[in-house]
Amino acid sequence: MENLTIEATQYTPEIKLDASNGSISLVGKSYPENTFEFYKPMMEWLEEYFNGNAKEKTILNMEIIYFNSSSSKLFFDLFDVLDEAKDSQNIEVNWIYDEDNESALEAGEDFVDDFEDLTINLVVKA
Amino acid sequence: MMDTKRLEKILNEDGIVFLTYGGFLTQSLIVGMTEALEKESENAEISKKTSNNIFTIFIELSQNMMNYSKSHQQGDLKFDPKGMIVVGKNTRDRYYVLSQNIIAIEDKNNIEPKLQEILATDLDGVKKLYKEARRSGKHSHSKGGGIGLYEVAKRCSSIKYDFEAINSDKFYFKFKAVL
Repeated sequence: MENLTIEATQYTPEIKLDASNGSISLVGKSYPENTFEFYKPMMEWLEEYFNGNAKEKTILNMEIIYFNSSSSKLFFDLFDVLDEAKDSQNIEVNWIYDEDNESALEAGEDFVDDFEDLTINLVVKA
Repeated sequence: MMDTKRLEKILNEDGIVFLTYGGFLTQSLIVGMTEALEKESENAEISKKTSNNIFTIFIELSQNMMNYSKSHQQGDLKFDPKGMIVVGKNTRDRYYVLSQNIIAIEDKNNIEPKLQEILATDLDGVKKLYKEARRSGKHSHSKGGGIGLYEVAKRCSSIKYDFEAINSDKFYFKFKAVL
């Protein structure tokens, strides 16, 4: 399965999807004009990945500085995909945030609340 | 020659204005203005928490207005698609974001109950509303209009709004978030 990398812009994160080592990473800001369209390639990639191409362990690293509400819904959908796969896969999420970015911490805590059965670690950025 | 002193006075009457814009909103403009706000926050040494909230509220309100104009471009040619947005600091040293655009009565009837619900509850209540709305709207992608207001409300200490009738179909929708 092909890897997929989408470069960051001033308002969308860098997305790295690596099928060879089971790692997914999102880093940056998220407030695209059309959130659904922007994240469509990533969501389609994930569907293919979890449809028989997943590695033994899959790690999602998310480091989002700030994001708009439609991104928030998209991230919820992303966690939903992971949640649905977790029974047959080993999945771990690292929600990475800057120590003084309280709203990023809170956003991570919200996801922990909403997805009790997913392993989500809240990690202070080194 | 335009009386810029008068304009400055208006801009500074309610404290300091960091940014003000009235016109057609586009994504690139919003991105540019957000970057200007980021620089302003660095200069003014605003805390990360407050500045991230300012950016998020600003983005939410301006993108709402942009999306609203986009979806109302067909049909009523007399519909003014412009929006106004102001970011400033009031005389009590509190940051605020103010927006105004013209909306149709159907949309007023849509938003007003939500706003009343927000005003009737506290921060924890708003956070609950936000999480519920996000959870329930699982398969809809209505450009975030559904949870956007809650996103704004949970990042500020108070919101104020007003609908001023232009005629029986159109209203000025004014919205202010004070951090």
